[in-house]
Amino acid sequence: MAEGGSDEFSGRLGLIFATIGAAIGTGNIWRFPRMVGANGGGSFLVPWLIFLFLWSVPLIIAEFALGKRSRTGTVGTFRIFAGKRFAWMGLWTAWISTAIGFYYAVVTGWCINYFQTAVRGGLGSEVDTVEVWNTFLQNPMEVVFFQAIAVAITMLAIWKGAKAIEKVNVGLMISLFILLFAALFLAFVMDLEDGTLDGFVYMFSIQPEYLAQPETWINGLSQSAWSCSAGMGMAITYSVYMRKDEDTTLNAATMCLANNSISIIAGLTVMMAVFAVVDDPLAAVSGGSSAITFLVLPEVFAQAPGGPVVQLAMVTMFFLALSFAALTSMISTVELCVRNFVDHGIERPQAVGFTSLAIFFFGLPSAATWILVDDATGVAFPQFLEVQDHIWGYGLMFSGLFIAYSIWKYGWNRYRVWQEENDISGFSLQDYLDNGVSSFRDDFINTGDNDWWIGKWWDYIMYLGFPLMFSVLILSYFADMLANVDNPWDPTNANGISIILLFWGITAGLFIGLNRFIIINRIVPTSGNPWPLALLSGNFTLEPRPLYRNVPEGAEAPIDTLPGGEDPFIVEAGEELPETFVDEYGETRPHTGSSIEAELA
Amino acid sequence: MASSNSSSASDEVFRARRIPAIALILPLLLSVAAPIAMVTPVSAQDAESGLAPDDIWSDDYANQIFPWGPHGDVEKLQFREYYDYFTLKERMQTLAAYYPEFLQFHEGLLGGVNARGDEMSSTEYEGWYYNHPSPWMKITGNVQGGEYNDYNNDDGNYADRPDVMLVGNHHAREWMSFEVPMLFLETVAYYYGKAAIDNDGDGLVDEDGWDGIDNDGDCLSLDTSLQDYNGDGIACGPGDLGVDEDFSEQFITDMVNTREIYLIPMLNTDGVRYDMEEYCGPTAWENCYRSGWRKNLRDNTVTGVTPLPDTDEQVDPSCDGVDLNRNYQFEWGAPLGATGPLFPGMCYSSGPNNDVYNGPVNYEDNDGDGLVNEDHVDGKDDDADGQIDEDWMGGNSEPETKFIQDLTEMNDDDGDGASDFKSTLTWHSYSELVLWPWGHCTNCDNPDQEFLEYHGYKMGDMTEYAPMQSSDLYPTTGDFCDWHYGVHNSYCYTMEIGNAFHEYPEDIAHIAVRNLGVPFYMVEIADDPRYRAIVGIENTTSTQWLQEPSNVTVPSKGDIPISMCLDTTFPFTPDINRTHLMWRFVEPNRQQNDYGPTEWVNVAWSMSPFMEPGEQCVLLDGSNGTMLESHIPLPDTSVGKIQYKAKLGTVNGAFPFTYPDSDTANYYELSIPYRAPFGSGILALLMFAFIATMVWGGLGFTLRAMFDDEGGVIGLPDDQSHLIDEEDI
Repeated sequence: MAEGGSDEFSGRLGLIFATIGAAIGTGNIWRFPRMVGANGGGSFLVPWLIFLFLWSVPLIIAEFALGKRSRTGTVGTFRIFAGKRFAWMGLWTAWISTAIGFYYAVVTGWCINYFQTAVRGGLGSEVDTVEVWNTFLQNPMEVVFFQAIAVAITMLAIWKGAKAIEKVNVGLMISLFILLFAALFLAFVMDLEDGTLDGFVYMFSIQPEYLAQPETWINGLSQSAWSCSAGMGMAITYSVYMRKDEDTTLNAATMCLANNSISIIAGLTVMMAVFAVVDDPLAAVSGGSSAITFLVLPEVFAQAPGGPVVQLAMVTMFFLALSFAALTSMISTVELCVRNFVDHGIERPQAVGFTSLAIFFFGLPSAATWILVDDATGVAFPQFLEVQDHIWGYGLMFSGLFIAYSIWKYGWNRYRVWQEENDISGFSLQDYLDNGVSSFRDDFINTGDNDWWIGKWWDYIMYLGFPLMFSVLILSYFADMLANVDNPWDPTNANGISIILLFWGITAGLFIGLNRFIIINRIVPTSGNPWPLALLSGNFTLEPRPLYRNVPEGAEAPIDTLPGGEDPFIVEAGEELPETFVDEYGETRPHTGSSIEAELA
Repeated sequence: MASSNSSSASDEVFRARRIPAIALILPLLLSVAAPIAMVTPVSAQDAESGLAPDDIWSDDYANQIFPWGPHGDVEKLQFREYYDYFTLKERMQTLAAYYPEFLQFHEGLLGGVNARGDEMSSTEYEGWYYNHPSPWMKITGNVQGGEYNDYNNDDGNYADRPDVMLVGNHHAREWMSFEVPMLFLETVAYYYGKAAIDNDGDGLVDEDGWDGIDNDGDCLSLDTSLQDYNGDGIACGPGDLGVDEDFSEQFITDMVNTREIYLIPMLNTDGVRYDMEEYCGPTAWENCYRSGWRKNLRDNTVTGVTPLPDTDEQVDPSCDGVDLNRNYQFEWGAPLGATGPLFPGMCYSSGPNNDVYNGPVNYEDNDGDGLVNEDHVDGKDDDADGQIDEDWMGGNSEPETKFIQDLTEMNDDDGDGASDFKSTLTWHSYSELVLWPWGHCTNCDNPDQEFLEYHGYKMGDMTEYAPMQSSDLYPTTGDFCDWHYGVHNSYCYTMEIGNAFHEYPEDIAHIAVRNLGVPFYMVEIADDPRYRAIVGIENTTSTQWLQEPSNVTVPSKGDIPISMCLDTTFPFTPDINRTHLMWRFVEPNRQQNDYGPTEWVNVAWSMSPFMEPGEQCVLLDGSNGTMLESHIPLPDTSVGKIQYKAKLGTVNGAFPFTYPDSDTANYYELSIPYRAPFGSGILALLMFAFIATMVWGGLGFTLRAMFDDEGGVIGLPDDQSHLIDEEDI
């Protein structure tokens, strides 16, 4: 028995803080200002806000609804909602998140390092920020050290499960708000001092020509999609810890709005500070990638008004806030992975330890290899990390697509069931709309626990809007590479298309191929070999892999009608597994899980 | 006193030449210097800013007294009076007698079998009417040595010395066209073999050679009222006192020792005599300032086509004569313009005389194949019989042009069958131009276009004359330069001297001085004019610059100007397809990777034309250049980098010169800041209010709804409420 009972957040605020923590990351603080700068200031805020409601909120609502019913991590959720054969989609979702986590831990380490450098006064006005950055990045021991610290903090935070996650997130998030508000105030003073408040004005001025450019809308969409972590599976994971009557819709809106609120605060802070100090602020804001955070901002903050103490405070606050934002995202990333292990019967400490180690070790190449120097600027950058981001960043879009797929599938199944019940044959769009398309919403969203009733608009978004937005994002991403990358089809080109398709193809192929052997079943070696050898030699049999759902007491979360719901080996944590199973040849065979558990008991 | 010092200096020079010059020079000095002497004190009074000529130079130089003399007519020697045929020939003979080691005087050619197989006698090179062969001077070091040419009758033929032909006076009335060669001859004769001389008496040696620029700044230190000595409107330009006044004697010596110079100062002796003695008279500037006799003196009276010369007959000015500069064979006779070149004139006293009659048609079967005029001279095998240009329509019918043709074709020191004259020059009047082939066709480039142009511009700079392709002035057929270039591939230039056919005598000297550098330049490039042009263009381009990003001023709004500094001699074409600024605006990719270096959007290069705003700029070597300017159109809202490079094409496009030099960088990169206003404060505040309401207000609303248990369910339709209520119960 993996876990004695269910694990849940103590209350609604706990859940909200945890999800906000997951959503708010470095993207709010360094990606958002860059997007504002590159996409015409206020012009960018229009699509950004529109897509908040067209993409992020609906998708998070779906995630909450899925997780709250399945009560398992991503793998289990897809096994239940999309069916056995599609359990690999859950693994994809988990993998994307974890693969991002590999290098995100490194980035978190950078933030922590910059915080401690700032505290020690190492980011004063007299230092050359490029030199600081290059020295740090080109010293692998240092980078790895801070990466390890980031992983260790994350590990400690989630060791104890939901309640600990909640506590850490509440603490970090409140600190983050306070720090950001303080920084915002200082930046406001800075921008006001030169008498123009131009950073503020630019950020909230609509430049009409930008609204006519598709890039602005695509960037608004992608910023919305990433910033809230919609589709990442994070909401699925945290909804596992929801109390039985928890709201799923208003929480989603709250989480996304909170995320965007922080974006605005962070964005204003950065824009006002940069505009106050830098001669060519837009080039500084829209040019570099991570450069603005680690090169420009320390310089900018070092010129804050109020003398060295305020300057020190400002740069310290900023990097502490950044570290906190990164850490809370890190926590959700690790938890997403851990949750999947726990679902499949692995003890939490074991899962946490294993995941943390994996994240640390697989993050090492990103931390320490291919540290190059950009010829044009002389600024060092981690190319391995960049390539990782290049490959896995857009994989997130597919996670979102899979979520939509499970919803479409559920709707279609329900329509077929309705047809059978009413003895109707032949497709009728009206019937499908009434009895299929809306069924997920009727069955899992508008359950009565919510403070916000979701109307038909959600169906339109999931069925029509989402595929459209998904296609636009993916196509524009590839079109952009075709247009702006030399030799995009060369597989050795780290910035090309081929490398992405290659890694996506291998990963998806592996997951689909191993779906039957690893994800929904497990291998029982017949020759005493360890399972990989057994798999290769063929000396094995398959038995269903048990899945333990984290269902709070008293919560009714039946899954019988779902595609994967009739699997007897999907049980609530604490329930006993069936002793036998019927294999693919129709034979009834004893399951090893029960005997092991019996032995343990 | 400066004047006594300098006059004693010139005394020494004259004494060194064992010639009592002072007696001859002093009265001249007084008479010629009189106007200057009158001007000088007047300007000196209000000239606190500048110096007077004799403050700087020797009196001789200040009054443009040439150091040579005295055998001959002082006025003529000093270029205050025109030579005539006889005095010119006499002066040439005198000089040749004085300097036998490098000057050899000749008249016409000895004759024999010429390059086309015709038996020629020396008399066939004498003018129809007065029967003078053209006098010419062979100039080269050790002119008595070398090979003897038994056709041309000259010594001093060296296979390893490039030859250069300098020809004056095709057209009789263009008197400056024999004065300039004479000044060249005097200069060579006087300075050859001398140690470095302080030509202008300013204490410096060889400080200002021929380039049209006041290199030592002495002219510029004059009072501004004296800086335009020749009155051409250009202060301290070519021909002004103090410009190109102290050239290198060693250069002259080297040139003479390493080249064979064929100087023919007066080709059209018949015409000059007729113009000077009959048609206009010896003071032609008074009655024929811009008119006069142009052609030679072929007698066209008898048949109007192929007359026999008749010396007893008086010249008939209404139809006699052939335009020698239309009588060369290359593309001879193609009718051009309205002048009817094949028709000599009406031959009655008031009838129209064709001043550009190009000579009679040749009806001979030149190659004896039974066909007539089947392959005229154009460098092509018109009748596809394997021979080129073997049966011509006409041309070379005159003693003077035959002389040029045979002198050219029979002078083959190295025996390679090709002309030894790699560079050729002919002087004409007037218009202040430098011309090069082609003349026979308009808008037609030739294979050496930009090289010809390069040298042409160089000589244009020396003289401040306008350089252009000959046919850009007007098309001509059968001229000297088309023949030399078309048939013998010689780089050939035509100088159009001055502003009249018969310039006033007091202008002879300064006009001649202004043109003195050109023949030396032609002599210098005679070794390999094409290669010299290539190297010259390359050197030129290395001093040219495209404005570097750090020097570019990005205006606060509108187009961004990028300038370029070109050498004035660089033969760039204004055609935008060949000469333009290539630029592209690169902005950060909007779909930026979060962790790598900034990614930039790939965009194609655009072209902007260069314009000439008429300003000067300073080249990398410190000399003045021509400013070009191009404008990059860019919206004020753009933020990013402009990458730019210049592509310069010369006239025929063979040299796509790129700036910056591709060895160091492919293009310059200029950061462009956001230049538009950031926006309106009020509107921004409204937008902020909107966004804040939506996001922060929305957050507040959801938080409130979350903890407001009484509030019910947001957005719950009425028909659904009972369901919820039931489930809640």
